[in-house]
Amino acid sequence: MIPLKYNVRSLTVRKATTFATGFGIALVVFVLSASLMLAAGIKKTFASGAREDVAVVMRKGSDNEMSSSLENANVSLVSAAPGAKKDTVSGEIVMVLAMEKVGAPGVTNVQLRGVTDAAQRIRPEVKVVEGRLPQPGRDEVMVGQRIHRRFANVELGKSFELRKNRPVTVVGVFTSEGSSTESEIWCDLDVLRGSFAREGSVSSIRVKLDSAAAFDGFKAAMEGDKQYGFMALRETEYVKKQSEDTAAFIGIIGTLISVFFAIGAMIGAMITMYAAVANRQREIGTLRALGFSRRSILLSFLVESTTLALFGGLLGAAASMAMKFVRFSMMNFASWSEVVFSFEPTPSVILTSLTFAAAMGLFGGFFPALRAARVSPIQAMRG
Amino acid sequence: MDTATEKAPASHRDKAEALVSLRGIVKIYERGGEQLKILDGLDLEIAKGSYEALMGPSGSGKSTLLNLIAGLDRPTAGSIDIGGKRIDQLNESQLARWRADTIGFIFQSYNLMPVLTAVENVELPLLLTKVPSSERRQRAQTALRVVGLEDRMDHFPRQLSGGQEQRVAIARAIVNDPALIVADEPTGDLDRKSADDILGILEQLNRELGKTIVMVTHDPAAAERAKVIRRLDKGQLK
Repeated sequence: MIPLKYNVRSLTVRKATTFATGFGIALVVFVLSASLMLAAGIKKTFASGAREDVAVVMRKGSDNEMSSSLENANVSLVSAAPGAKKDTVSGEIVMVLAMEKVGAPGVTNVQLRGVTDAAQRIRPEVKVVEGRLPQPGRDEVMVGQRIHRRFANVELGKSFELRKNRPVTVVGVFTSEGSSTESEIWCDLDVLRGSFAREGSVSSIRVKLDSAAAFDGFKAAMEGDKQYGFMALRETEYVKKQSEDTAAFIGIIGTLISVFFAIGAMIGAMITMYAAVANRQREIGTLRALGFSRRSILLSFLVESTTLALFGGLLGAAASMAMKFVRFSMMNFASWSEVVFSFEPTPSVILTSLTFAAAMGLFGGFFPALRAARVSPIQAMRG
Repeated sequence: MDTATEKAPASHRDKAEALVSLRGIVKIYERGGEQLKILDGLDLEIAKGSYEALMGPSGSGKSTLLNLIAGLDRPTAGSIDIGGKRIDQLNESQLARWRADTIGFIFQSYNLMPVLTAVENVELPLLLTKVPSSERRQRAQTALRVVGLEDRMDHFPRQLSGGQEQRVAIARAIVNDPALIVADEPTGDLDRKSADDILGILEQLNRELGKTIVMVTHDPAAAERAKVIRRLDKGQLK
């Protein structure tokens, strides 16, 4: 075998071309890695805070809480169902509010949730970190930390209008361990109903179950009675459905962009390696004369291009790690409202990115390596 | 042997054993649809332990002949027997394997790997053998000592003079203990002093270590140092 140091040092000798080619590959890997990190971040944001032992009851056929509507009287029906814990049944109204973004033109939807005090009993991770809880019956709201100050007047102490002539005051900021709830505005259920004339109805009913195993019995009881038209989902299942499309969209777009970029970077790597082979005809001929087989020459040049690509890949992956500190807000397709995500570097994202880089090196380097393997040993004799 | 100029009496063993034996060698190249007959029915025997210089004008076929003896190329017709092996019948990968085992190469332009140090260059042929890595380094160092470069082991080729580079190349050629050393204009790129040093080393390898050497050269002074001088003209040995 031709030693690895031969290839590595050959790369370091041509610093400028190696760096330029590596940089091209780094850019591609950066884009890929960042979009995969974002897709992972989206999944994580939705998945965190979701529980196996919480059920979400909605109108049958609804895609999400917003498009669902149930009668308020159903709340007591749900709390009477087998497996439901009596005092942790939360009827909630979910709607979106078009709000002005700070520092960007136009309006964006923000998810608004009308709740009772049962909402927090189901979600103990929701904690007020600044200010206080809104008081029942008063025109007060609390806002998730991720959207705090990102929208006009969505700031502690300030007021904004729920609808015309219905101002509410921000009295608290809350967190919920990074889940998508942190991109919501919460207010008292009755205040919301009053503002939008939705008395007597809720969007969904969340209910804590006796245990995760109790879900099947609960679901059977809820969905068994056809006259009510209920649909019961585990909370984990519901949030997964909410994030699936968005995460897949980002993942696919990111991968598509990366693939197009990759073609460019691969051609770059190919040109670099063709030049390397052309410049090293005599070296290659000498290796052949000394007795190295065509196959080991092929392998050696593949190793060289793959090393080059991995160097670029590491550069790109390392740069993408900086995205960890960037918050990214985008529309969640399931709710048409703004959710703020972070880029989530997972081992599988890094592994995928580096594998992608290595593949670029292998494919980009293949034809140049083939040419190298075809160099005749007689080239060694030509001055 | 009858066409060669014998400068020194060959030993008894030389006569008994031919290391290289070429019979009826024809080599035809095709260039632009035209056939060029470079070698035309050439016969040659080189005894084991001999040191032979191949001379001749440009285009006489001496490089082609050297390439054939070294197993870099195959004849259009004829047989090449080296150390009892018909190398004209080997396929490409067998030939590569055979070169690694049998031939030590010395090139006009040294042909060292610029990114490897002297000792790493010398180690290269050993990577094709089963010699363990610790022993590889030792053997490479010994070979460099033979050519007087023990203090330049970790230098890169660009840090060496032409003569030193060629000595590294000689160390690389002998590290595998090959049966035959082929040298293509080994002094062509060197000044007189360095050329003399190199020729001295080749002589020493032949005399003291009994290495068989075939050298192509234009330089009469270099050819003088060989035991046998053969002249090639228009594809025939004179």
